[in-house]
Amino acid sequence: MSLMLFFATASITIPEKIGTDPQSILWLLPLAAAIVIVYKATKLPTITLGTFVKETAVLFGSIIIFITIIASALFALAWLISE
Amino acid sequence: MVKRSKENNVVFLITVGLLAWVVPGAGHYMLKEKKRSIIIFATIVLTFLVGLYVGSIGVINPVNAKAWYLAQIMNSPMVAALGHLTATAPEKYRVFGKPNEIGQIYTGIAGLLNLLCVVNAVYLAHLRGREPRNKLRG
Repeated sequence: MSLMLFFATASITIPEKIGTDPQSILWLLPLAAAIVIVYKATKLPTITLGTFVKETAVLFGSIIIFITIIASALFALAWLISE
Repeated sequence: MVKRSKENNVVFLITVGLLAWVVPGAGHYMLKEKKRSIIIFATIVLTFLVGLYVGSIGVINPVNAKAWYLAQIMNSPMVAALGHLTATAPEKYRVFGKPNEIGQIYTGIAGLLNLLCVVNAVYLAHLRGREPRNKLRG
């Protein structure tokens, strides 16, 4: 028990090692999912498993597609300017 | 009689708001929205804990990151205890770079999501408080 408490405390008192590589941008996925879940939990008139999963999946997909389009456009613009 | 009823309603709204702030999802639970409250509690607490796991409690910095702290404290007043801990021993909980950024973003967004839920719970309570009166009028 005390060992579990030690690890639980240690996990929130020492930061993780995260580099500034392109993979670190994937940290946006869980955050986007959290935002979508809470938003839909407040907006849906009645919550049923099917409706909730469908609505959150559609909104999550829309956000990711929109982010991908914007990122691609910015990348293309940066490439055109630098070439 | 009407004035007293209004006062009771205001007290009820404040209670719902405070409860929703102290424990994420508790405001909705008080309004008998159990599914909503469970989803809200699990998501906000998990997001906040992921932020702490990535950046450590050093991301809660009431001295050098006041704007982020304002968003983080929306999670719960209990965040103030962590803020006090990091403010009293800043050299012990130092965090820099990407873990600091990601940790602050996760904990800050979790707080702002809870603020959204507090407002939503108070609004729902307000609507329910009006319902019987509207029915009586109708």
